[in-house]
Order: sequence, then structure tokens, then C-alpha cells
Amino acid sequence: MSMEEILDGLKSAVIEGIDEDAAEFASQAIEAAVPPMEIIKGGIDPAMDVVGKAFEDGDAFLPELILAGDAARAALDLIIPMISEDDLEGAVHGTVVIGTIFGDAHDIGKNIVSAILAAHGIKIIDLGINVPPRQYIDTALAEGAEIIAISSLITTSLPYHREVINTLRDRGDREKVFVIVGGGPVTAEWTAEIGADGYGRDAQDAAKVVTQLLEGLAAGQKPPLVEPITAGALKHG
Amino acid sequence: MHNKPDILEILGRTQTGEYCTQKEWDTKRIPLTIRSILKEHDLAGACNPDEPVNTDFDLADRFYAAGYQAALELGYLCTDTERIVGVSQEELDNALKYAPAEIWVGEGKDATLLRARTPSDPYPMKAATSLGITVSEDVMPDMLYLIAREPEVDILEAGSMITVRGREVLSGTPIETLMGYEHGVMHREARRRAGREGMGAIGSISAVTEYGQFGAYGTPGGFRTSDLALILFPSEMKVDYRTLHKVVHTLNMGGIMKCDSPGMIGGMPGPAEGATVSSIACALLSYAILQNHVGGGEIYDVRYLSNVNREGLWALSVIYQALSRNTHTLCHGIANQVSGPGTENLLREIATGVSVLAASGSSLTTGPRSAGGKLTDFITPLECRFVAEVSHAASAMSIENVKGVVQALLPKYEDSIKEPDLGIPFQKAYNMDTLEPTPEWEAMYRKVKAECIELGIPLDSH
Repeated sequence: MSMEEILDGLKSAVIEGIDEDAAEFASQAIEAAVPPMEIIKGGIDPAMDVVGKAFEDGDAFLPELILAGDAARAALDLIIPMISEDDLEGAVHGTVVIGTIFGDAHDIGKNIVSAILAAHGIKIIDLGINVPPRQYIDTALAEGAEIIAISSLITTSLPYHREVINTLRDRGDREKVFVIVGGGPVTAEWTAEIGADGYGRDAQDAAKVVTQLLEGLAAGQKPPLVEPITAGALKHG
Repeated sequence: MHNKPDILEILGRTQTGEYCTQKEWDTKRIPLTIRSILKEHDLAGACNPDEPVNTDFDLADRFYAAGYQAALELGYLCTDTERIVGVSQEELDNALKYAPAEIWVGEGKDATLLRARTPSDPYPMKAATSLGITVSEDVMPDMLYLIAREPEVDILEAGSMITVRGREVLSGTPIETLMGYEHGVMHREARRRAGREGMGAIGSISAVTEYGQFGAYGTPGGFRTSDLALILFPSEMKVDYRTLHKVVHTLNMGGIMKCDSPGMIGGMPGPAEGATVSSIACALLSYAILQNHVGGGEIYDVRYLSNVNREGLWALSVIYQALSRNTHTLCHGIANQVSGPGTENLLREIATGVSVLAASGSSLTTGPRSAGGKLTDFITPLECRFVAEVSHAASAMSIENVKGVVQALLPKYEDSIKEPDLGIPFQKAYNMDTLEPTPEWEAMYRKVKAECIELGIPLDSH
């Protein structure tokens, strides 16, 4: 099978959301000595562009987005260890621990953000809904995650955002992990007030913020940020 | 004995039902089942965005049949145990047969009668206002009072609290239990102050978890058992112990409940047609699984968290036509606006969404969701009044006439749905000394109301 055929197969597997096939094509590409960054750029990125555009246009839906993200991750788990240190420096990579905060059972927004981030090659550890503050922290530190991403749709869950940040600070771990927040009632003002590092209004905005944070980290920037990175401010008087 | 599963049986099924992971439910079971049912009933592609209101009742009936089938094939997933809570056809039929066709909410002369309706029914859709937009503690008593005193508003829900005596409410902690009680007491006092002591209510919107509901509903001085207990449960077609705690508490109190959960356009059930089937199924199952009195049929488009766009309005029209023509249940609907107070578009979004619900046969609406419910204090009593006015005035309109209203108003706001103007908060939209709308906000209301009258909604011009 030619390199083009392998990458086309990988692309199709990701679009179809079949993680076994995505992993198989990724293995074949590695065995064929296709450079890892070329596998990502030729097989995974275009596939996620297709799925992301279809979702935006209303032609694909959340299950497809989630399954495509899973398939991309299955391939990336094989590809990333093969990337050279030089290439790795130029690539955005990292781990995000994500969940809907304690007291809140809404997961649609969190699922969309997870899928979009996975599509950007980010490793996602999804803690689900109703996540206690300490679980984010314990998981992030145990897994060496660079970012904690907190989702909320309910206003009375917002104070738990602050608890995550305060607990990190009080444990002496605030310098180890960025914290970003998002969801219906979350604003850029709230993000700054609680001392979080980033806010995105929607999933695409969240991806921009995560990318910027990881690029900043690679360039030596450590948490917490003095001014949070925000994307997609709300329009009001 | 109605052979409807009792609550103990349902609780048992959360432990013994078929095991299914949430991931399997979300990414396989829901989408594949819904897709298969859409195909079987030849309903894929039925939504035409150029026709944002359905006028074909036969199509609505076919969606009802599809939703009924989905209810039996799917059931709800209990997310705490990852067990499917299903019901038999006999159980579902009996639950629908014995569901109430009318119910009084509130007490005495101030109470409101909810009645099962059909499309264009002259008996008006009742209006509960507003949705649970967060309101500052210092503003909350006046906000509740000002909404309760609006004579067209039938039932009071109004904003949710985020602090108790200045302390932040942390959901799931004893502070939430305390907040639930204090919210209930404040709510009752507002209705008394407005001279409508027996006015019905929906509560408690502040109760995110069961703790707030334990504090609020049926407690002395709090929400009465003649008020509707508000029980929201997760989508897509899921239930959890938090929901079931609230159900059991309402039953223990001898109360009445309004349980609902939205179908998500673009979410697990796929396009508007899939979410419509899922929403109907979810509403039907609520009578069998949750012992519901007033059911849902809610729907959102995940791209905008709204339903006043083309696909959302189409889905609303089909869902409530389907439920009201094929059951005698008390169906409840929500129009989810995205623009905020002090904008004309908020009022237009109310006019389209609420008139579609009213003419399609919904028995009750709750709204508005000003500014998409995103910002504290971005809600005013004036748009609550408008929700109630449109609810009542549009009820008897023909669905064709409502379609004309939508086709005229939708182009004025649809380009801004993705990036809406969230407007201004209550404190800027109202004169805080007189507690009346500012002249600018009042003028916008008059202007859009005149537009609606011109388009055929028989609103009182005063």
C-alpha cells in the first residue's frame, strides 16, 4: 500500500470514528517510515477538519465528533512516541484533565470541547460530570497534565472553580498546572476574578486557549498567568 | 391498579436493568436507535429550514409514532448505575392513559388551571415566568414581586439565587439546603406582596441538587404542594439519583411535579428530526418512569443553546403538535431566547418561539431565557409580561398564521443568534426608584408589540 493510500485510510478511519482502523493505519504508516508529523498532517488533521466543518454546518453530530476524536487519539497514541525531540518542540501536545464541576450534571458542552481538543492532538482525560475539585487536582498531578479544564452550566457550581484554584494554591501546586474555565454562565470577568488562566466562549475558543497555553508553556511560561487568556467575549451593555 | 410501574419498581430497575455504559448509550445506543426509527418511519430529511413551522399535522402524528417507538426501545439510562430503566408497552400506555388532563397550580382564586390542549385550542397556553436566570440577592425580592404583579403572568418561577445573606451557595452542600428554604419563603412573600397569595409557582429553580429541593418544596413557609415541583433531568434520555430523589420527595409530600429534559439538535440523536423523536420519547417516558404530572418536550440546538432558529422552531412545532394531538398530557414547552433585555430581538425571539408553542398545543410555557440565561440580573419583568401576553394571544391562532409571523420576524434576528446582543441588566433597563421600565426599554416593547399585532398576533395594543 502506498503512503497516500495509508494516509487516506487513516483519514477515512478517523472520519468514520473507527479507532481500531485508525490505529491500524497509524501502525502501517509508522512501519512504512512515514515521518510522524507527516502522518498527523496528512491523515489526522484533514480528517478532523472535515468532521469539525460538518459539525459546524449541521451535517455531523456529537456522536460523530466524539468517535472521530477517539479514533484520532488511538492513532496519536502510537504516533506521538515516534516524534523526535526536535519535531516535538514545534508541535503542540499536552494533556488536559476535563470535567463538569461538582453539582452540575450537564455534559454536552464538555463533550464538544473534549472532542475538539482531541482533534487538535491533545490527550484528554475526561472525568465526566459532577467532579469534586480535588479529583481534578489529584488526576492532573498524577497524570502530569498541563491543563485542568472546568465546565459549568449552572451558576451555583461556579464557586467550585475558585475552590480548585485555591486548593491548588494552598497545596503549593498552583505552579504545576494551568486552569481554564468555560460554560454558559462563565465569563471572562469571572475568569479573571478567580485567578484562572483561560476562558473560551465555545469549543473552538477553548481549543485556541489551550493551544496558546501549551505554546506558552513550551516557551517557558509557567502557571499561574497574571492575566488570563480569553477567547470569544460575550457582547452586552 | 393501573399497572403503571410504581416508584419503588422504578428504583429497583435502576439496579437491575440492562447494563450499558454512558459512552455506549451516547455514541451508539441513542444515535443508532434514533437513526433506525427515522428510517423506518421515513422521517429523515423531514425538516426543511425554509419552512420553519410545520403545518402538516399528519407529519406530526408520524413523529409521534416514531417517538412512542423510541420510548419503548430505549427507556432512560440511569447514569449512577449505568442501567437502562425501560418500560413495557402496557406500562407506557397506562401511564399515558392515567396522566392528568388538567391540574390546578396554586390555591383559591389565584390558582391557574392547566388543561390539555390541541393545536389552535382557544383555551390559552398558560405562562410561567421567568426561567432560572440568576438574580442578585438584593434584587431578588423586588424581581419576584414585580413579575408576580404582572397580571397576565399565570405562574411564578423567576430567578435563581446564588448567595444566601451574602455567602455563595455551593450546590450539594448544606448551604444549598438552607438556600432552598430561604428561596421558598422569599417566593411566597413576593406572591403575597403582589396581592396574589394563592398564585401557583414552579420551584425551586435554585435547587441544583436534591438538597435545595428538600429545603424548598413542601416545607412550612416554602413552596406549597399545590405548586409544581421543578425536576430537570439530564439529556439525552437519562435519569440519575439526583432526579429520582426529587421525584420521591415530591411524592412523599403529596405534591405535583413538572419533569423535563431537552432533546439536543446536533447532539446524540443527530439532526432536528432525530432530536424531535428523542424529545417526544423522553416526554412520554416521564409519565411512566417519573410519575410526572406536567411533561416536557424541550429541545435545544447545541450550536446555539437555543431553539428560536429555523430548525429549533420547526422541532418545537412538530413536538407539541405530536404530543397534543396524540395524548391528553399537559405538555410544557420552553422557547430559548439568546438576546438580552433592552434589545428588540429578545422580544422578537419571544414572539416566534412562544407563538409556535401556543398554537401547536402546549399547555404551559416557562420563559423567557433572556440573554440565554448567561448573566446575572439580565432579566426584567417587562419581557416576562410579553411572554405571557403572547402565550395567551397566540393560542387560538392557526398554525399557518403563526408560520407567517415566524417568517416575518425570524429574518430580523437569525443572523445574530450565534453572536447575540445580551443587552443590559435589570438595573439599567428599569428605573430603580420607580421600579418601572426605562422609556427606552418600554419603547422597544411597544414597537415590537405593534409589529406582532400588525403580523396578526391578537395582542391587546395597550
